[in-house]
Amino acid sequence: MSLRTHRPAFRRALVALVALPLLATAACGGSGTEDGASGEQATCEKSDGKVKLTYWSWIPGVDKAVAEWNRQNPDIQVTVKSTPTGNTGTYQNMSNALKAGNAPDLGQIEYDSLASFRLQEGLTDIASCAGVKEAQGDFVDWTWSQVTFGADGKDGVWAVPQDTGPMALFYRKDLFEKHGIAVPKTWDEYYEAAKKLKKADPKAYMTHFSQTDPNWFSGLLWQKGANMFAQEGDAWKVDVDSPAAGEVADYWQKMIDEKLVATDLQGFSPALHKAWNNGEVATWVSAAWGYSTIRDNAKATAGKWAVAPMPQWSAGENKAGNWGGSTTAVMGKSKHPYEAAQFALWLNTDPKALEILNREGGLYPAATAGLELAALKKPVDFYDGQTVFDVFADASKNVTTDWTFGPTMTDTYRFMGDGIAGALGGQGTLEDALRTADAKTVDSLEKQSLEVAK
Amino acid sequence: MTADPIAATASPPAQTAPAPVPARRRRNWAPVFFLLPFFVPFVLFTLVPVGYAFYQSLLKTERTGGTFGRKTTVFAGLDQYKEVLGDAEFLGSVGRVLVFGLVQIPVMLLLALVLALLLDSTVARLKRFFRIAYFVPYGIPGVIAALMWAFLYDPRLSPIVDLLDKAGSAPDFLGSSMMLWSIGNVVTWTYTGYNMLIIYAALQAVPSDIYEAARMDGASEATIAWRIKVPILRPALILTGVFSIIGTLQLFTEPQVLRSISTSVTSTYTPNLAAYSLASANNYSEAAAMSVTLALATFVLSFGFLKLTGRKAES
Repeated sequence: MSLRTHRPAFRRALVALVALPLLATAACGGSGTEDGASGEQATCEKSDGKVKLTYWSWIPGVDKAVAEWNRQNPDIQVTVKSTPTGNTGTYQNMSNALKAGNAPDLGQIEYDSLASFRLQEGLTDIASCAGVKEAQGDFVDWTWSQVTFGADGKDGVWAVPQDTGPMALFYRKDLFEKHGIAVPKTWDEYYEAAKKLKKADPKAYMTHFSQTDPNWFSGLLWQKGANMFAQEGDAWKVDVDSPAAGEVADYWQKMIDEKLVATDLQGFSPALHKAWNNGEVATWVSAAWGYSTIRDNAKATAGKWAVAPMPQWSAGENKAGNWGGSTTAVMGKSKHPYEAAQFALWLNTDPKALEILNREGGLYPAATAGLELAALKKPVDFYDGQTVFDVFADASKNVTTDWTFGPTMTDTYRFMGDGIAGALGGQGTLEDALRTADAKTVDSLEKQSLEVAK
Repeated sequence: MTADPIAATASPPAQTAPAPVPARRRRNWAPVFFLLPFFVPFVLFTLVPVGYAFYQSLLKTERTGGTFGRKTTVFAGLDQYKEVLGDAEFLGSVGRVLVFGLVQIPVMLLLALVLALLLDSTVARLKRFFRIAYFVPYGIPGVIAALMWAFLYDPRLSPIVDLLDKAGSAPDFLGSSMMLWSIGNVVTWTYTGYNMLIIYAALQAVPSDIYEAARMDGASEATIAWRIKVPILRPALILTGVFSIIGTLQLFTEPQVLRSISTSVTSTYTPNLAAYSLASANNYSEAAAMSVTLALATFVLSFGFLKLTGRKAES
């Protein structure tokens, strides 16, 4: 929900259409020298008197949690505005609002876009606000490294983690049983399983490989430890086509070449949902939030799916990737960073708030306390009574912490998406896609006048 | 097919009154007053945004210190234009829409002309019904139309592909070799009726005694259509031609929608998509330079078309 899950073509297209005439006006702002006041918040003082905060979010039912806060805190009243998911409009609106000087005090921002908002000087460093640094222990390790940009808090704290998308393997238990396929523990076994499935049912695919989800592919790279970005001193190290990434690319290229994965099914598309319902696609390596994507779109297959840990690159390992998840950020130029930070902390650590966000919005919490929510300990009917969230709770703890998203991630995803499209369409390979994305990302960083380590 | 560039070319000539009243210097403000409703929105919504985009295109971002740095915006002259003109993918996308336009525009206009002539012919029945029926696609929002066609192209969902498959072979509508045709089909479907209506309206303005006279001279309906109607329709055809050139260079919605189901459409498939992608990655200066370049290209092409057709009319 808060993730990049729901983006039906219709809404994307609609936003695109609306955004088009804005192109000229979107080119607004950024003129002259921006004093970058938002960049560093030396002190984080409590404001006098009553404070009113504005908050933009797209979590369904977040207003209920906010109402609870408002009830408990008569002096800090929060108004929530419901917005479309990040990439379908909210980020653009936030950027415009930042330039126009009327951005909200708080905003929901996904991990992968956090760096680019910091680059636009759209975030407030809340490290010096009371309770923020102390909250580190309350969150799953890797989420904290995301909001501190992997610098252990020395470089500031730029948001409060909200929810995550630890990845695991969704598979069709019934099809696996029917064809005598064991649940793959490693990627090698996954490949063998794919071949076995193809042999048993030539029309079936192990999974789909979507051109439109380069962030999914990033989740696979994340598991492999193939970090695309790193900070080296004052420079950015770009390593989109690292040897480790190359191994992942080669693996999936083999799957594509041998037609073991469907290459004509885009993620979250009606065609994919139809294929799920027909039993044409047997697995999906996806995030915790994916459980509802399958449940809501493949109703005909109720009781037939199960969840297992993500296949590993080496037997005996226990690594997971992450796909999606977001933060609550205090936006740049907020006049009340102290109060905003208090609200952000409460929203994402208070048991009552976590319970509401999970119940209403289906959020998979970033707070360790959230992983223990009663609702996440229950068997899930659609998955034949399996307590699927146990798998994700483990995965959540196994996501490596040194992953860094680049400051021009929108561009990097775009280059990857274009390259993947080529590979799926038979022009070039996934390895080529990574190589091109690497070179173009360097270019894109340099255009933003950022230093790139060679 | 936005009409604002038309407004730009159609701005009325500055009128200097023939001033037969020399004695008293009295300025007549009435014409200015009446022109205001045109000029105020024109300045606000056409000149200002274009001017602002141009201004943006002359800037660039610089940063100092740290991995994120502190942002300053500096004047960069024509640097961004150098980037844009050296961008092989952008140039490729321009080439792509030009090829697209060379095929699609003539097909669409010919279709629109034929439909208008058929509707106008004396033997046509149910004129009002057909007039509306052909216009209906234009009334459907572009996104919806593109989504609908996307559904019809999708091999896993489409009943049409299913039928073609059963009949022998179905083309891969979403493949890279077919994509431009598939988009062309959507555009033609959407705008033929619209163009037809403009041409048809022009036909209605022709006094019927001309046809009367031609019939008395023994001309057949076909001869009347070819010898009388088509020449009279010249200005309407030129107008629809200019609209179509502008629309082609602005191509955005259809490829953007089809992008979500096909691997053939990249983020730089058309110039407008390329500019949109840059703007969504916060590279406003280059996006602005791209937009201005595109606006210039549109202006040159539509103006060139007008000149060309105008010259032919004189000779």
